[in-house]
Amino acid sequence: MSQSKKQVHRLAKGGRIDRSRTLSFTFNGQSYQGHPGDTLASALLANGVDIVNRSFKYSRPRGIVAAGAEEPNAIVQLGSTEAAQVPNVRATQQALFAGLTARSTNGWPNVQRDLMGLFGKLGGKFMPPGFYYKTFMAPASLWMTYERYIRKAAGLGRSPMEADPDTYDHLHQHCDVLVVGGGAAGLAAALAAARSSARVIVADEQEEMGGSLLDSRETLDGKPADQWVAQVVKELAGYDNVTLLPRTTANGYHDHHFVTLHERRTEHLGETAPLVKGRRQVRARMHRVRAGQVILATGAHERPLVYAGNDVPGNMLAGAVSTYIRRYGVAPGHKLVLTTSNDYGYRAALDWKEAGREVVAIVDARQSPAGDWVEAARAQGIKIITGSAVIEAKGGSRVSAARVAKIDIDAFQVSGPAQELACDTIASSGGYSPVIHLASHTGARPTWRDDILGFVPSLVKGVHACGGANGTYALGEVLAEGVEAGIKAAAVTGHAAPAVSLPQVKALKQGPAAPLFQVPHEKPTLRAPKQFVDLQNDVTAAGIELATREGFESIEHVKRYTAMGFGTDQGKLGNINGMAIAARCLGRPIPEVGTTVFRPNYTPVTFGAIVGRHCRDLFDPERYTALHQWHVEHGAEFEDVGQWKRPWYYPQTVNGKVETLHEAVARECSAVREKVGILDASTLGKIDIQGPDAREFLARVYTNKWEKLAVGKCRYGLMCKDDGMVTDDGVTSCLADNHFLMTTTTGGAAAILEWLELWHQTEWPELDVYFSSVTDHWATMTITGPEARKLLAEITDIDLDKESFKFMEWRAGKVAGVPARVYRISFTGELTFEINVQANYAMHVWQTLFKHGEKYGLTPYGTETMHVLRAEKGFIIVGQDTDGSVTPEDLGMQWCVGYDKPFSWIGKRALTRSDTKRENRKQLVGLKPKDPKVVLEEGAQIVFDPKHAIPMPMAGHVTSSYYSPTLDSGFALAVVKGGHQKMGETVYLPMADGQTHEAKIVSPIFYDPKGERQNV
Amino acid sequence: MSNAATFDTRTDSAIPVESPLAYSYRRSGAPAAGPESRVTLRERALLGQLVLRGGAIVLDEAVREVLGLGLPGEPQGLVQDERGERSIQWLSPDEWLVIVPGGEEFELETRLRERLGDAHYAISDVSGGQTLLELEGEAARELLMKTVIYDVHPSHFPVGRGVTTVFAKATAIVRRPSEERWELVVRRSFADYCYRWLLDAGEEYAIGVVR
Repeated sequence: MSQSKKQVHRLAKGGRIDRSRTLSFTFNGQSYQGHPGDTLASALLANGVDIVNRSFKYSRPRGIVAAGAEEPNAIVQLGSTEAAQVPNVRATQQALFAGLTARSTNGWPNVQRDLMGLFGKLGGKFMPPGFYYKTFMAPASLWMTYERYIRKAAGLGRSPMEADPDTYDHLHQHCDVLVVGGGAAGLAAALAAARSSARVIVADEQEEMGGSLLDSRETLDGKPADQWVAQVVKELAGYDNVTLLPRTTANGYHDHHFVTLHERRTEHLGETAPLVKGRRQVRARMHRVRAGQVILATGAHERPLVYAGNDVPGNMLAGAVSTYIRRYGVAPGHKLVLTTSNDYGYRAALDWKEAGREVVAIVDARQSPAGDWVEAARAQGIKIITGSAVIEAKGGSRVSAARVAKIDIDAFQVSGPAQELACDTIASSGGYSPVIHLASHTGARPTWRDDILGFVPSLVKGVHACGGANGTYALGEVLAEGVEAGIKAAAVTGHAAPAVSLPQVKALKQGPAAPLFQVPHEKPTLRAPKQFVDLQNDVTAAGIELATREGFESIEHVKRYTAMGFGTDQGKLGNINGMAIAARCLGRPIPEVGTTVFRPNYTPVTFGAIVGRHCRDLFDPERYTALHQWHVEHGAEFEDVGQWKRPWYYPQTVNGKVETLHEAVARECSAVREKVGILDASTLGKIDIQGPDAREFLARVYTNKWEKLAVGKCRYGLMCKDDGMVTDDGVTSCLADNHFLMTTTTGGAAAILEWLELWHQTEWPELDVYFSSVTDHWATMTITGPEARKLLAEITDIDLDKESFKFMEWRAGKVAGVPARVYRISFTGELTFEINVQANYAMHVWQTLFKHGEKYGLTPYGTETMHVLRAEKGFIIVGQDTDGSVTPEDLGMQWCVGYDKPFSWIGKRALTRSDTKRENRKQLVGLKPKDPKVVLEEGAQIVFDPKHAIPMPMAGHVTSSYYSPTLDSGFALAVVKGGHQKMGETVYLPMADGQTHEAKIVSPIFYDPKGERQNV
Repeated sequence: MSNAATFDTRTDSAIPVESPLAYSYRRSGAPAAGPESRVTLRERALLGQLVLRGGAIVLDEAVREVLGLGLPGEPQGLVQDERGERSIQWLSPDEWLVIVPGGEEFELETRLRERLGDAHYAISDVSGGQTLLELEGEAARELLMKTVIYDVHPSHFPVGRGVTTVFAKATAIVRRPSEERWELVVRRSFADYCYRWLLDAGEEYAIGVVR
């Protein structure tokens, strides 16, 4: 059998396909052939594939209906390998390539004959709207079980189970004028804007630009329309100020003319992106466009008529029939009946006839149609049945006949006897719906126009609609509107466009369309054979009528009850028909039933394009200190603190076994308490504060006093928000009279700098002070433990004598030959020196410390050990022991509050509120578990009476809890109601596993309560 | 000289020093630039970088006298000396970034402080905290379009402009000192992320790293 015979519906000539080359592809396991220029849909039609899916709810066979983004049925799963799986691809928008492998999305287990078909036929009657809500929601516990089978049977596509081999990225674009749509209106607009020298981006979702001009019967300047397209595209491509993006869908229109364009760069070439010169290409790219002005030239979707059996394969949109014939050289049948409410539909019959196929009849709902195309059809000898419509399509797996009868639109009834016309294809046209989706995304409600029987977009400032998107369909007017929009948009952005001379278009004479949506049947809607409104979600006219009878009046409710428009096609074909039916049932005009709101995305977008390169090790920034490599090389496990990677602990291999966290932390803690440990503290926020009012400013943002802090001294500071709750803490040092260095928590650094700027700029601009972040400039190495002084003394010129360099002081000098500021402050309770050097020298200083530190047992420790050591001392960590509801007094830190400071510092007033003054607030205490082996769970709830009936009154919770090798016991910090007055009392911690732990309230300072060790 | 502490953080050249990208070169390598490279990346490490804060008029007089360069005349401006070695960039209405050859920054700060006397201003040395990356080549602009949100079209980003903007999920300063060259100033702790991002985004342009 020759190939041309295999492609049974392929015409001998015509179409924009390359017949010199043949491409093989696979659909549902069967091999077929098509040509470059085909879509998967046109190739399937060429091969006579009638059934491409099973329907969502009733499992009815479905065929291709449309030729573009609005296709509801031909939804396929692409991919020959697991990794290449792509769900929910519209066959009408997928270019054919050699080796393409596709399966029906619906139709488990088999599209031709499936088990669900039986269920569908039996169950159909029993599946009214709201069926799922009514049937499967109770008992709720079984929904998960139902859902699995419903999903599998309904077929919503599936995601790949293997990693995607492709890459995707983003491109930030800016332009004066974004033109969405490269059809007649869009190209005219682009041409005008481009000639003004404005920066223009043209995005078009199809394989090639031109839109409806690619299959138009009309001529421009007496030449085929596609010649004008080629000429315009060539001119646009020659401009530096124009970016042409074919295969690019404007999928979302966000605030401030931020539009996301989804460009499919290689999906027409193969299922994974081919290499170019050995380098990868991105499969899809998201253009994140910030546009000055946006022109919506998105065209219009043809509306099908709603009649009985309108879902049987062989029922198609009239315009799609024309497109397949003229653009793809495919006539998807032999005998056509056209049912239409308007002149445009006639095109399909004319094209069909010219393709050498039989037009059985044109059935026109209007009594006396008149117009150029009507006359052309008459001249061709095509039979026209007026005042009538196809009321029912007959056939199972393919249309076999059309039942045609006179209808009375106003009375909504069949007004004459039906005749049956044998045919295999029924094309229908109920007029056009402007593609208003993107305008809807901006929040603008569309407006109904009776003259065009459709919604046109309302436009926010800076948006222009032209052509079909604006309800303008006559080609000459479409072009003129496009040019006008282009000139206007460019002008707003400051670019004057020269005149654009438009090609000559012969104006078509057309008669008015009939307002026909649902076609009446002899039987009432509820008893007639199914009349489908939303093919993808199996919503029928009867379903909508039933919904209105059950009391749903707003179209938003009807949609949700029936699921109309909730498929991946968002009801592009069905929504307006559905609204018209609801309006008819409710006896109200269409716009009163509501408008339809579309949301991003216009068509499904692959997650890859949304994510771009923000994945894997580029998912989020990882911030490293200057010593990061050393930590990596020494086997550190890392903890995320904000975006920083901080060494968590350094497991060592002891006797061939890698230490656990617990073992490593015990070893690190002992090293600090007994010898000397070293911590990379570079991540702490550091803010350089300069100015004559720096000291006054500190006094206002910290709770404690700063007026007497002398040069060379350091002080711990506590910061509250204006609600009196602790927000940050850290040590601030006086570098000079007008110069301080503030340290903040690692996670709070950026927010605190903003906080300081906020108060300075908005409340106290009269204070002369400046803040600059120097966090990254300095590397901070904390050496702590009894041997710290001896170690440091070996490599510094600073006098470390305890009398000349006291606790809470800083000195400048050299450490390991590097200029350093050394701060004698302590977060461990041990003798501590924090060595700060310019970060580029940090590695040298760190390594020098280790060279000298071995004999002192210098041990690197991480954040976990730091946490244990500070908790033993009762030092809080803001954000762990506090949660935004804790005052300094709750923490027992009255010593750190300057109640009598002259200026009302941030939070002071809030601390006198009745709520912050009341007794029984949760207060920070220590907890000692009765069983020393128990390490309480952080977050565990505390109760006073474990025998109390559930729900027990909660008395507080554990904020920090560790095992202390020094105490050889578990210990915890906790907040407990009235805890400061309950020292020595016992509390209980009932756990999820049924155990109840017992603990004693103690001072939060577990170790060296007098602070002698850090003062040595 | 105002009552602030100055501190020369540099020391003699015998002490080993590591640029912010030192770890990144070891971890991610540095693809060599070749004839097919449409963009190249070069770190200009260990420069002197100072943040100046204060009133424009006062600072302008001082930097003219001490550095021989005035402050940029308008927001988002970047000025540089003839050889492009010393530059001043507007960061915010009272904030400028001064970049000078490594080692000059302490003397510059000292002389500025002498010149500025009791005026209210601040100078912070951030030399260890950030590094400068240069991008050159015909694909440099497109590489930036993948990376920064700001509009880098020549009509919007002429030579002599510098902005602080979003860099992937971090922030960076983007500058255009000449027709051919773009500069990024990135914070030390983010430098590795930025470097890996640029290598990844530049792969399709055969990005090369000049060291």
